Amino acid sequence: MSSLKLSAVRKSYGHVEVIKGVDLEIKSKEFVVFVGPSGCGKSTLLRMIAGLEHITSGDLEIGGTRMNDVDPSKRGIAMVFQSYALYPHMTVRENMGFALRFAGIAKDQIARQVGEAARILALEPLLDRLPKELSGGQRQRVAIGRAIVRNPEVFLFDEPLSNLDAELRVHMRIEIARLHKELQTTVVYVTHDQVEAMTLADTIVVLRDGVIEQVGSPLDLYDDPANQFVAGFIGSPKMNFLAATIVEKSAGSVTVELRNHAGARLNLPVAGGSVGEEVALGVRAEHFGEPGSGNADIRLNVDVAEHLGSTSYVYANAGGESLIIEREESRHEIGREHITVSISPERAYLFDSKGQRIR
Amino acid sequence: MAQARLDRREQLTGWAFIAPALILLGLFMIYPIIWSLWMSFQVGKGMNLSFGGLANIERLTKDPVFLRALGNTFTFFIIQVPIMIVLALLFAVALNDSTLRFRGLFRTAIFLPCVTSLIAYSTIFKSMFATDGIINQGLMALHIIGSPIAWFSDPFWAKVVIILAITWRWTGYNMIFYLAALQNVDRSIYEAARIDGVPAWARFTHITIPMLKPVILFTTVISTIGTLQLFDEVYNFTAGTGGPSDSTLTLSLYIYNLTFKFMPSFGYSATVSWVIVVLVGILSFLQFLVARDRRRP
Amino acid sequence: MTDTSLPAAANATSAAKIRSGAPANPLALIRRALVYLLLSIAAFVSVFPFFWMIVGATNKSADIIRGKNGFGTELFNNAATFFTQVDALRVFWNSAFIAVVGTALTLVISSLAGYGFEMFRSRVRERLFALLLLLLSIPFAALMVPLFVMFSQAKLVNTYTAVILPTVASIFIIFYFRQATKAFPSELRDAAKIDGLKEWQIFFFVYMPVMRSTYAAATIIIFMANWNNYLWPLIVLQTAENKTITLIVSALTSAYTPDYGMTLFATVLATLPTLIIFFLLQRRFVEGMLGAVK
Repeated sequence: MSSLKLSAVRKSYGHVEVIKGVDLEIKSKEFVVFVGPSGCGKSTLLRMIAGLEHITSGDLEIGGTRMNDVDPSKRGIAMVFQSYALYPHMTVRENMGFALRFAGIAKDQIARQVGEAARILALEPLLDRLPKELSGGQRQRVAIGRAIVRNPEVFLFDEPLSNLDAELRVHMRIEIARLHKELQTTVVYVTHDQVEAMTLADTIVVLRDGVIEQVGSPLDLYDDPANQFVAGFIGSPKMNFLAATIVEKSAGSVTVELRNHAGARLNLPVAGGSVGEEVALGVRAEHFGEPGSGNADIRLNVDVAEHLGSTSYVYANAGGESLIIEREESRHEIGREHITVSISPERAYLFDSKGQRIR
Repeated sequence: MAQARLDRREQLTGWAFIAPALILLGLFMIYPIIWSLWMSFQVGKGMNLSFGGLANIERLTKDPVFLRALGNTFTFFIIQVPIMIVLALLFAVALNDSTLRFRGLFRTAIFLPCVTSLIAYSTIFKSMFATDGIINQGLMALHIIGSPIAWFSDPFWAKVVIILAITWRWTGYNMIFYLAALQNVDRSIYEAARIDGVPAWARFTHITIPMLKPVILFTTVISTIGTLQLFDEVYNFTAGTGGPSDSTLTLSLYIYNLTFKFMPSFGYSATVSWVIVVLVGILSFLQFLVARDRRRP
Repeated sequence: MTDTSLPAAANATSAAKIRSGAPANPLALIRRALVYLLLSIAAFVSVFPFFWMIVGATNKSADIIRGKNGFGTELFNNAATFFTQVDALRVFWNSAFIAVVGTALTLVISSLAGYGFEMFRSRVRERLFALLLLLLSIPFAALMVPLFVMFSQAKLVNTYTAVILPTVASIFIIFYFRQATKAFPSELRDAAKIDGLKEWQIFFFVYMPVMRSTYAAATIIIFMANWNNYLWPLIVLQTAENKTITLIVSALTSAYTPDYGMTLFATVLATLPTLIIFFLLQRRFVEGMLGAVK
């Protein structure tokens, strides 16, 4: 159960830099999720930890030892791949024992370790099947089993659930969470799906363009995003951003005017900002209130309403700006063309023109 | 950029994987071809060679046997390759129809000739095309010909037999390439075209042919190389003479005769072999040009 | 074998769909009939010479050139003539040794190169590969004279080595393996690295078994080429006891008045191994070709 430390880690292909200086410490037994849009470098970073990609500069330590030039098999890691990467010509049993065979471990010892891993993952009935005879979920479990057999200090997962259908994905997510609890290993998990990140992680690392945007627990990121990118990325549905301009500034507060909502104004306790600055007001879909409950009411045209039973999502717009509003009690609203909602200052975020959060 | 250890190791691994093949190719392909280029400027018999400049090329233009061999080789190429490619395409498209019965049987039967050696089928053809042989008997029974054809002593018919033989041997081989390529074509494209009301012939010319273009080009180039190197069949049909009266003599057979039959004339035979290299180069290039032009609508 | 039957099953269902949906209009029926006629003729023309070869092996030479088309009683006489004239065991050993060793070496060396070119791409190696493709167009006729001189100087004329060595690094097969390697999932290589395999172990213990269809197809192609190889063995194998069956059949055919019964008997023997290999590996062959054309 090792800790991990990345110091000023960079990666370039020729002149293109894809990882631009990453510093990160991962504690032992921690479940860390790298999340970000495709091309943000999260998989490259994971492959660098695994030793599949060379680290251009910077240091990687696993369990306190510098691992930059250590062979992947000697880093104490195991990896689960998106496509499972099971050896198609070997049975489940052979797949799971393959690494041990090459580590020179005795046959009966291999059999014991494979049996143990198979028991944990309930794979015993499948041990003599070939990968092509398994369902997607079973293959995923075998891939995880193959990783467990090696008794790794650190588990690496590279988008392990993205080839599964929605139902199975939820199931496997729970299984991975259970495994982490049971095995108590350090996990580094890459996904582009923020729901996976929120549900699995102890710590989420949000990446964009090879740079870490924010590190924190799921709820920290949700409640307290460092910038507009993280705010927009974490949380489902996405946070709404309303174009606004600072029109007044007094000690400890500013007043912003919502540009697309007929001059609706909102007073927010913000220290920074200057009059005339264009900002973005962030409001989560579930934080709009009944008309009159907040400081500013806005009236919107309804495009589509999705009624999910317990809750509804209303897709609405005003002045060319699209918003998503979550309503818990909305059955009486079916068929309405307009909706008026209220924004409370305590439930709103404010981002400056560079996307940095000022409230 | 700092070259790093893993990268360097991968570089070395890459070279290690291809090194055995590269060494062998260098020894048995690149070195001989350069040697042969150098030889083509040498004149003399056996190992008594001296630099002759362009004398060999001059000799080519005045050598009636060479010109005959060149003409024959070209005749085989111009007639045989198109016939074979068209037949192979036809069979492949017919066999690609999944509603067809006995597909596997037809496919195996048409591919079967490729399994025989060039020598084996030369022998078989030679016995079938004997003057009193089964082919003449068959043709006469069908009233296609009145009297037996002397296949191997008539310059025209001798060429025909060779073309028939090569076509028999290689059509199935090319067909397999097309079949493989056709199976990679997404069936829903054809289904979409049918729903759009595209008739069968247009599906063939506007979907099948463009999709197969790379494979057609590939097989055409391979067949061109094969035909320009034609040797085994001719050697065996004619007991090495290229007869009757040089009417089936090919460039490869001529090179063989120049080197191993007559007093060896290494310089001159190297020059003839470079004629084949240049021809293959030119023809392949032309085929690439044609394929590229057609791509523009 | 389940992997090969899968696409067949898929085809069968789509076939059923189309068959039930196709209207039985007369034009389509005629077209269908023409397709069957064309394919039947092609199949007949393709197979008849084989039939003729087997029939011929049972007939006297005189009957064969008179076009007798039916089984005769001369099989044992033809066999006896062949076995007295030719040291058959020796000749087959020569052919088998050259074909088997040549095929094995070609498979390993050319697939190593194909894998190397595809997996470890670098600018230099890409250029080199392009150069190799250019060399593909060099006819053997251009090489045979220098090769012969080289092997004479090395005192290797009339040896198996001389027959096998120049065929081992085949540009065509390297190209074929490189194309096929594109379908090899790179994550398997990553997984194997994490499992602690060295690059060469990945090649032999993961790549080779995973790509066995590709190898099967290549085996057919290479084995047939080696077994049937003619011109080069004709040049370098000079004494009778070193000649291959292909050379022997050719010599028998080229006689002034060939004994066709005996020669066709020899031809049957010469063709048998390639026929057997083909029928054994046929399924994998088509699969492998599919991989190569992708």
